[in-house]
Amino acid sequence: MAKKTYDLLFKLLLIGDSGVGKTCVLFRFSDDAFNTTFISTIGIDFKIKTVELQGKKIKLQIWDTAGQERFHTITTSYYRGAMGIMLVYDITNGKSFENISKWLRNIDEHANEDVERMLLGNKCDMDDKRVVPKGKGEQIAREHGIRFFETSAKANINIEKAFLTLAEDILRKTPVKEPNSENVDISSGGGVTGWKSKCC
Amino acid sequence: MEEPPLREEEEEEEEDDDEERDEAGPEGALGKSPSRLTAEDVYDISFVVGRELMALGSDPRVTQLQFKIVRVLEMLEALVSEGNLTAEALRMERDSLRKEVEGLRREGPPASREANLGPDKMVVDLTDPNRPRFTLQELRDVLQERNRLKSQLLVAQEELQCYKSGLFPPREVPGGREEKDVLVSRASSAGRNKEEKTIIKKLVCCFREQH
Repeated sequence: MAKKTYDLLFKLLLIGDSGVGKTCVLFRFSDDAFNTTFISTIGIDFKIKTVELQGKKIKLQIWDTAGQERFHTITTSYYRGAMGIMLVYDITNGKSFENISKWLRNIDEHANEDVERMLLGNKCDMDDKRVVPKGKGEQIAREHGIRFFETSAKANINIEKAFLTLAEDILRKTPVKEPNSENVDISSGGGVTGWKSKCC
Repeated sequence: MEEPPLREEEEEEEEDDDEERDEAGPEGALGKSPSRLTAEDVYDISFVVGRELMALGSDPRVTQLQFKIVRVLEMLEALVSEGNLTAEALRMERDSLRKEVEGLRREGPPASREANLGPDKMVVDLTDPNRPRFTLQELRDVLQERNRLKSQLLVAQEELQCYKSGLFPPREVPGGREEKDVLVSRASSAGRNKEEKTIIKKLVCCFREQH
C-alpha cells in the first residue's frame, strides 16, 4: 500500500490593506520567523506548509497578495481558487479596519460562494498604538458570521491557531472520500484535492 | 553766479527737440506736475530763479541765499534724475512682462490642451529612470513564472530529500519525468491541476520506492 505525503490540499488566501502584516503573518506560520523590514509584496506570492488535523495530513498552499491598489487586478484573479480567505487589518491603523467592508465585497465578487472567511486584527502586541478596540473587530466579524482573532506575527500570538482553525473549518466542510477508491480524480471540482493511491 | 551761463548753453541744445517747453518758456517748468519733472525742467527753474536773484542786486544776504538755492536745486536735479531712471527701468520691465504674457497667451492654448488629456490620462516623463515601463500583463507573466519556478523548486527539494534519506538509489530516477512542465500559480484550474498531478506523482513515486 502506498504511503501518502498528504491527504488534502487546501488553498488559502491572505488579503487586506498594504502594510497590515499579511506577509509577516504568513512568514511566522510557515517559517516561524519575523522580519521587521517592510518590503511590499509584488503582486502575489505563496508558501506551502503541511499540517496534521484529525489524523489527516493537510498541505496548505497559502497565497499572499499585495495590498496595494495597483495590484488588485492581479490579486483578485487568485480569489476564485481559494477555499479559505484570511482578511487582515492592523489594530493600529484605523483605515485598514474601515476598509474591511471593501475587502469583504471583493470576496463576494471574486471568490467562491462557499469560501471560508476569517478576520484577523494583526499587530496586537502594539497595544499602546491601538486605535481599533478588540470589540469592534469582534462585532464586525459577528455581523458577517465569520471567525475573528487578534494576532501578532511579531510576538507569535494566535498565528498558528488562526491557520489551524481555518483549515479545520474547511476540513469540516470537506466531503469524506471513500478510502478504497483507486482512481481519485484530482482535477475534479469542489476545490478539495485528495488522493489515496495512484500509480506513476 | 554759475547757473545762468550754464542755463543758456543747455537751452540752446534743448530748444530743437522740446517744443512744449519752447511755447511755455523756462517759466513753464514751474507749472509742471512734480511727477513729470525732468532734469531739463530743473535747469529751467534754476535759470528763472537765478535771473530773479540777479535782479535783487549784490546784497550779501542774497548771495547767502543763492548758495542755498543752488544746493536745493542740485538736490532736486538728483532726485528727478533718479526718479526718471527708476521710471524708465519700470517701463522696460513692464514692456518685457507684457511681451512675455503675450507670448504665453499665444502658446497657451496648445500647451494646456496637451496637459489636459482627460480625467483618466497620465503624462509620463520619458527622462525619468523610474517611469512606468511594463504592462500589467507582463507583470502577471513574470509573477506566474516566478511562482511556477518556486513550486518546481519545492518539488525538487522534496525529491532531493528523498535521495538524501536514501529512499531510492541515485541511478533510479522516479517516473513522471515526462511531465517536466510543472504548472502552478495560474488562475486557470487547468494549470493548477497539472502542477498538483506532477507533484503528487513524484511524491507517490518517492514513497512507493520506500516500500
